[in-house]
Amino acid sequence: MAESDRRYMRLERCKSRLAMEKEYKDILLKDIDEQVEKEAVAFEAQEREKLYRQHPEWMPKELVYETVYQAKLRQFDFDMEFEMQEALSQAARIVSKNPEQKEIQDSRLKELAEKQARLREKFTAHLEAALKEQLKEQVDIPPDEEKALLGRVEDFRLSRCRETQAKKEKISADEDAKIKKLEASLKKAEGAVSKTGLSMPEDTVLSVQNLCMYFGGVHAVENLSFDVKKGEIFGLIGPNGAGKTTVFNCITQFYKPTSGTLLFENKAGEIISLTDESVHNVICQGIVRTFQNVEVIREVSVLENLLIAGHSRFTLGLAAQALHLPQLKKQERIIKEKAMKVLEFMGLSDYKDWTAAGLPYGILKKIEIARTLMCDPQLIILDEPAAGLNDTETASLTELILRIRDTLGCTILLVEHDMGLVMNVCQTICAISFGELLAIGSPEEIQNNPDVQKAYLGESEEEAN
Amino acid sequence: MNTDLRKDYLGIVFEKHRKLTAKERVGKALHIPLTQYLVFSAVLISFYILMQGGAVTSSFVFAIGNTMIYAIMAIGFCLLMGYSGLASLGTAGFVGIGAYIAFYLVQEYGYTFGVAFIVTVAVAIVTGIMVGFISLRIEGIYLAILTLGLSEILRNTFISLKSSIKIDMSKIQILGAKIGENEVYLLILLVFVVLLWITSNLIHSPVGRALLSVKNSSSAAQAMGINLMKYRVLAFVISTIYAAIAGLLYMMYLRNMTTSTSTLLAMTTSLNILGAVVIGGAKSLWGTSFGVFIIYGLQSTLLSKIAFFVENPAFITMLTGLMIILIVMFFPGGIAQIASNLARKYRESKLRKNVERRIEAYGRI
Amino acid sequence: MFAAFLSTVCGSLLGICVTCLSAFAVTLIFRTSTTANFAQASIAAFGCYVVADCLNNRGIPVYIGVFIGMAIGVAIGLFIDLLVFRKGRYINELGKQIITMGFVSLFFGGTPLVFGNPEFIPFESFYNTTKAGTDSNIVINAFGGEIVFTKHALICTAITVVVLGTIFILLKVSKWGLGVRTTASSEFTAELMGIDTHVITAISWALACALGVLAAVMYAGGGAMISASFMAIIQVNAFLACILGGFSTFYGSVVGAILIPVITNCVGFLANFPAFHNISRWQLVIVYLLLMIVILIKPQGLFGKKVVKKV
Repeated sequence: MAESDRRYMRLERCKSRLAMEKEYKDILLKDIDEQVEKEAVAFEAQEREKLYRQHPEWMPKELVYETVYQAKLRQFDFDMEFEMQEALSQAARIVSKNPEQKEIQDSRLKELAEKQARLREKFTAHLEAALKEQLKEQVDIPPDEEKALLGRVEDFRLSRCRETQAKKEKISADEDAKIKKLEASLKKAEGAVSKTGLSMPEDTVLSVQNLCMYFGGVHAVENLSFDVKKGEIFGLIGPNGAGKTTVFNCITQFYKPTSGTLLFENKAGEIISLTDESVHNVICQGIVRTFQNVEVIREVSVLENLLIAGHSRFTLGLAAQALHLPQLKKQERIIKEKAMKVLEFMGLSDYKDWTAAGLPYGILKKIEIARTLMCDPQLIILDEPAAGLNDTETASLTELILRIRDTLGCTILLVEHDMGLVMNVCQTICAISFGELLAIGSPEEIQNNPDVQKAYLGESEEEAN
Repeated sequence: MNTDLRKDYLGIVFEKHRKLTAKERVGKALHIPLTQYLVFSAVLISFYILMQGGAVTSSFVFAIGNTMIYAIMAIGFCLLMGYSGLASLGTAGFVGIGAYIAFYLVQEYGYTFGVAFIVTVAVAIVTGIMVGFISLRIEGIYLAILTLGLSEILRNTFISLKSSIKIDMSKIQILGAKIGENEVYLLILLVFVVLLWITSNLIHSPVGRALLSVKNSSSAAQAMGINLMKYRVLAFVISTIYAAIAGLLYMMYLRNMTTSTSTLLAMTTSLNILGAVVIGGAKSLWGTSFGVFIIYGLQSTLLSKIAFFVENPAFITMLTGLMIILIVMFFPGGIAQIASNLARKYRESKLRKNVERRIEAYGRI
Repeated sequence: MFAAFLSTVCGSLLGICVTCLSAFAVTLIFRTSTTANFAQASIAAFGCYVVADCLNNRGIPVYIGVFIGMAIGVAIGLFIDLLVFRKGRYINELGKQIITMGFVSLFFGGTPLVFGNPEFIPFESFYNTTKAGTDSNIVINAFGGEIVFTKHALICTAITVVVLGTIFILLKVSKWGLGVRTTASSEFTAELMGIDTHVITAISWALACALGVLAAVMYAGGGAMISASFMAIIQVNAFLACILGGFSTFYGSVVGAILIPVITNCVGFLANFPAFHNISRWQLVIVYLLLMIVILIKPQGLFGKKVVKKV
């Protein structure tokens, strides 16, 4: 790596540590607030318990009713469900061995269901009667007792707040000091980084110039050039085998282009040449991608997939990780919070701890996209995101892509065969065929372009004749 | 059902906010790997103490120490195979590196254990880096057989250098103090537990996750910023270091090896360690340790009490083979899977009993 | 000097036969069931013990004894594939390989138990049992010196050429051969095309184990003393021959199996020069190092094809 690259990596690490420190400050303060709240609630519960043990007749009727009644009923329903499940699986086992038993088993199951329904009625009636009986002598709690209790809780909360206030201020001070130090070293690092000699128009984020990719005698990409503007959604279309994924692989350095220039404005605002980067550094510059064949890590959970996606944000070395130093725990906490936020954004919070291996295809595709959001990228490359999705899912994907672009302010480059999605979502479309550029322009221009129609979209009958 | 519903209410409301009982706290603590390893080392230290008192034989303690040496190899291999998915049959050769460094430094030149340890780790790092770079070019079964060839190269080199090595007890010193065989047991225990802890830490950290991602999909890993070369080499370096340390400790403990006839540096050991990791559960450290115990520890500890097995040692080898076959046939997740299945079945049966008891009570209303 | 060199090369003839048979067996199993058979040596040794038992204790003529041994090998191979692999749950490739390792231990412990624990038995060569009292070597005078062949080695070479030749011809022209080649290419697709892959893999295992026993018998007849692990060195060489030649073809491992014994003996021949007189100690090390270098240059083997996964 050249010296300027090393300085750039140091700059990136400084920036990432600074951002992490800021996030960590927020997390710590939030933790303290939550802790105080939890303690206050616990204190209130303890106080109430003490009070009600002394004066059991003051217990709130409706609350007892709800709590005890609901809890017991829920337990009852759970037990009934369990019994029914056992009976169902037993019946299935018997029927699979002796199919003629099916009717007997069905009637037995129906009997069980009826028995359970009857039992439930009896049970609810019994519960209500018992509750009414035992709550006869209940009176409302005297208002001054109630006020006194609430007063005590409030006092507790205030005192805890005061106690933790000092702690919070100390944390803020520490963190601010750290943040100031990091900002200073960041300024120093920024000053040291030399500017590259490359230039690109102000509003362009990626410039592909004369890209050629040859595999021996096969010219997969031939002299392709296009520019992607900041903040736009750029589509790449073409028939199968046109070389679209090859273009992406060249941009993300999975292949080293045979010739051509790839200019990119990275997160620091510098213009760099992508061909100088190695494939695992591309994400640090700000480009992330998804894969045509969903490449989710199947052995681990969804949350861990996102933690892996945030790998480039960890700054600690091997020794710190082997000894599980406190800094590691801190950074893991920060990345985990970010992962939870991304999961919520994508609507995957329920799947957080599920192993990725068994999940349906649509969820896996969502995880692919969620992974790209972990590092706040400049440019997101989506390789056939709608492959295998039906119309409803494609519609929600369209909405998701637009939401990502609007929330993060990043640029999106996508390859897609679903023309509806492409025409709806893209501002600029580039059509290629056999590795060469066919046309580039707005969706309307592309739709009306005769070369594109001939090669890919299909002509209408009159034009063909 | 004649309960005091008011008490029920207090119970339910207060349930969420009461402090944990001591039993629950212990249970929670036991989930942390560090606590598990501390308890484990306490148990093993107790063997040492019991031996001083005469309650257990020194051969039993010796067998445990011997097993721990193989377990160190196996844990490094677990990280290599279970978490990085790299096939390597070269473990035995790397063990030889540690053993021969121990011989030359301690016996011939009289250095302390500490110096030998540092030199072993250094040489292992260099070897591991070499093998790691080789693994970038070669994959799958080719890599496995290549590492087998490498192990054979090392073994034949060692035999040519000196076909039988011995260390005198008197030469073994740590920090200047001479120690006896039983103290070496404690040393092995210390090294084993520390390495267990470090490996567990690595598994539950970004490094461990990066290794898993390289194993599952190298393209996705690279796109997420994980340097393929760095992590492949790292996996090999770690497993080589562990194997070499095991060799070093082997020479410290057994102090004698006839390399030309011993199976320690032969393919047998590499295959046995691979088998131990697989039957224990490729991603579980405890399972791997238990697998090693089954293959190496069982015959010297538990089965040595039964006369039949002492007379027919070949039977134990057969039993080991049979056990490997049966476990892989019916429990592909290894012993770790068997253990978690049993735990789950136990929990389910307890749940079932409780449900049945409650349903009976409902019926009696 | 040249005659001495040729003599050394021809002396590796027996090693070539034995390694060829073993390497082909390993490749056959690997290509049809994606398993590296680590138990090759142990099964071969067991079969050899059976043959030795027949020859020495029961007075059965040698070729019938060999057939009995090979039949036992067939039985073991079928047992492993049909009963062990099919009956297990969720066995993947790694699992199969571990199972073969389990069989290594099983045979390692079981062979002495079954045959009463005699460690090293002498074994009679093919030649001696056919014609007693005549010279066991054939000597050709050429290139200014003597080139020595043992008759045992010549008989073994003939047997190997016939056996392997027949198998290769069958692979190319017969329906079974087509099935094997298809299964080797992709088991799943072969099944979809109507090929009974279970039968193919069972036959492959049976054939491979029989060939292993044959190789062990040849090796023992050439003067090696039998023990439960006497084929271990051959197995290592067979595996190395397979990766030298590449697993992508059937003939690659055979070519590798010819090269390795020849190169080993050539390196050993250098001991005749005063500068390298100590080389016999390092013979194996040098050969293996050379192999490593070749494989690093061609990672898929000499005849292998590189498969690049599309991203």
